[in-house]
Amino acid sequence: MRGIDAAAVSLPRYRLAGEAVEEAWGRNPHREMVVPRADEDAFTMGIAAAERLFERGIEREAIEHVALASTTPPLDEGLFAPRLGRALGLGRNVETSEHTGSTLAGAEAFSRALDADGPALVVVSDCPAGDPADGWGAGAVALLVADEAAVGVPERAWHADEYPGLRYRERGSEDVASIGVTTYERDAIRECVTGAASQLDSIGSVAHAALHQPDARMPGRIANDLPIDDEAVEHGTVVDRVGDAGAATVFLGLARALGGADADDRTLAGVFGSGGAGAAFVLDGGLDVAGLVDGEIPDGERISYTNALRKRGVLDEEEVAGGGARVSLPTWRGSLDQRYRLRAGRCPDCETVAFPPEGACPHCGSRADYEPYDLPRVGVVRARTVVGQGGAPPEFAAQQRRDGAYGVVVVGFEGIDATLPAQLTDCDPESVAIGDELRAVVRRIYEQEGIGRYGVKFVPTA
Amino acid sequence: MRDAYVVGAGQSPFGSFPDATYRSLFETAFDRALDSTSGAFDPDRIDEAFLGTLGVGGRQIGLSAPAVTEHVGLHTTPTTRVENACAAGGYAFRSAVTAVQSGRADVALAGGYEVMTDTSADQTRWWLGVSGDTEYERLSGTTFAGVYAQMANAYFHEYDADPDALARVAVKNHANGAENPNAHLGFACSMADATDAPPVAEPLNRYHCCPISDGASAVLVVSADVAEEFAPVRVAGVGAASGRVGLFERDTLTSIPASAAAAERAYEQAGIDSEDVDFAEVHDCFAIAELLAYEDLGFCERGEAGILLDDGRTDPDGELPVNTSGGLKSKGHPIGATGTGQLVELFEQFQDRAHVQVDSPDIGLAHNVGGSGGGATVTVLERTDVGGA
Repeated sequence: MRGIDAAAVSLPRYRLAGEAVEEAWGRNPHREMVVPRADEDAFTMGIAAAERLFERGIEREAIEHVALASTTPPLDEGLFAPRLGRALGLGRNVETSEHTGSTLAGAEAFSRALDADGPALVVVSDCPAGDPADGWGAGAVALLVADEAAVGVPERAWHADEYPGLRYRERGSEDVASIGVTTYERDAIRECVTGAASQLDSIGSVAHAALHQPDARMPGRIANDLPIDDEAVEHGTVVDRVGDAGAATVFLGLARALGGADADDRTLAGVFGSGGAGAAFVLDGGLDVAGLVDGEIPDGERISYTNALRKRGVLDEEEVAGGGARVSLPTWRGSLDQRYRLRAGRCPDCETVAFPPEGACPHCGSRADYEPYDLPRVGVVRARTVVGQGGAPPEFAAQQRRDGAYGVVVVGFEGIDATLPAQLTDCDPESVAIGDELRAVVRRIYEQEGIGRYGVKFVPTA
Repeated sequence: MRDAYVVGAGQSPFGSFPDATYRSLFETAFDRALDSTSGAFDPDRIDEAFLGTLGVGGRQIGLSAPAVTEHVGLHTTPTTRVENACAAGGYAFRSAVTAVQSGRADVALAGGYEVMTDTSADQTRWWLGVSGDTEYERLSGTTFAGVYAQMANAYFHEYDADPDALARVAVKNHANGAENPNAHLGFACSMADATDAPPVAEPLNRYHCCPISDGASAVLVVSADVAEEFAPVRVAGVGAASGRVGLFERDTLTSIPASAAAAERAYEQAGIDSEDVDFAEVHDCFAIAELLAYEDLGFCERGEAGILLDDGRTDPDGELPVNTSGGLKSKGHPIGATGTGQLVELFEQFQDRAHVQVDSPDIGLAHNVGGSGGGATVTVLERTDVGGA
């Protein structure tokens, strides 16, 4: 049966305690919320989740469909699935679909992948923003949807009816809004999700449920209308650990539920989309989910409320003059394999590896074309500095204000001549020293002419 | 090939002069160069000019060099703007020497100018990052402070050397610059000042970094026939070399190969070796750069720059005084003006009128680096019997 054959989750490193929000605002939205860094967005989190999936041995070239879902893609208009394909090194003939506009986006992407032919990659990645007291989170899930899958999807159903005013974002706005009529909102969510779920023949035998969860109590409210007990709902509820991660929350809950499910267990995913729609999926079986720790959402590093606001950019509205380093978009595009895949070149005459693979060979001076050679994604620090206030080029000033002083390293690779300069992320740069091992992650590097440019940064492996 | 001589050299004060323009700063340097000759020098004798500038701020990206020579009355004199980042001045001087050596010019003017302190902090930092590798190095989040900091990190790790050497470079150069009325930061500093300053890019703090400065400098390069009329200094050798623009593209992080190659060529032309050098102005844009210069120029073995410094051998009363002008650290670093500014110090040392005077030197060396080592020049000047006016 077609369904989910592999799954991975990826969360940013940092966490904000609900108590810290309570201290500032007098209310505690969730126990803990995931906080993305300034160099993270739905695209980079999605890449991280998908890379974790590929680490399980799935062949990149085999993917025939990419379905991407997020309420907060980095651009209002402009596709990210092609970028994801390039960043992950997928084939150029993949069919792509992108889903956005509501928290139902993940269900749409999943459904589309179930309808597709051949192995399909589903990436649900989100980092909604809004009133800082509202408990916004972040996270990403990657699913491999294939025939004869470990977890089959025998049934799915939909429900649609107009419910305006819940969780909307006006054109051009960064912030999610809501009219805030509590009973009306709860009724809308319950009607949409149960309207879909109650159409499922196997609803009576569900052992785990991941249900729409803007807060930890909503899944229980939805389940009241369905033959599902509290324990089943608990398995699929993660909002108290990650915060409201938009379209990704239910899928993070689903990943946790499937990670804990036995081969003969049945799981329900119930998704809500504001505007008035619900979707429900039945999933049979369980699987080992990459990125969970002992089946649980992994812990992160707690940061203060003000630090979280800085990372979120709430405290940063200053425009930076200068416009960034001048690398034209065509030149940038020409280097995408270097930015994402660390593609160097091997000199055909002396076998020296050069990065970037252009110009005369640094060793023998040969002008012959380099043979493509992908550097390992794990390297070693050859030199390190920490760039403080005043030491950053202006295009990194905003990031520095949000994330603080950053580390920059020259990265070398065991047995290879080539080195490359890169920024450190997700670490205390002071603790990194020459000889330390690092691994590559794709992050937002900078923005020029309004266009975000992404590429490799490095994180200590230890 | 003919010999070339320096008969005059002058600089504007280096510092922050918001009311000055690049033209007015150059005018000051030019007039001081004319005043420095041992007899009256008629500027109409200048056949050609080579002027270095990066053009920070983008105020006159095209044709700023002719704008400068026309401003000082060198009407119709052919003028070439030279751009090799911080080594623009060294390369401008080399072009002037070549013009004289080739016989095309009997008198060539070399110089440089830069205005850096009148733009916003963001704009200035934008410009400070334009001479490294833009596509990879800068986009890892570095300007030159970051790149030199990585070199320092690798250097102290490789040789297990004492990082206090950085502060000692600052203390020495500030002590020298305190005597120099043209210095931008003309004050002495203590080891504590230079050790405890706020970090810029670890391990470099503010006292390990040169300032950004406004300023100009000018040098008169002439043939032997012309030199005889004045009290000249002989150009014994000018070595120049290029290197890979990005640090990551080089096979060493603890040396600047372009500096070593330029030095080798300069020594060969001058028929000397490093031990013959009596004093030197080296490119200490960051304190680590002075340490690397000691080693790349052959003043000491690899890893021993700190010992040279510790032993006081590069102090004004040592056997090889370095940066008696205050260096880039204290005198200042108006990018395009720095290379020929170093030659002003050399010329004044031979004239026995330097602010921190070396005892009758015979051979002086100037070392000028572009970026983190994409280009470098090493110039050797020597006392000569020619002229004597």
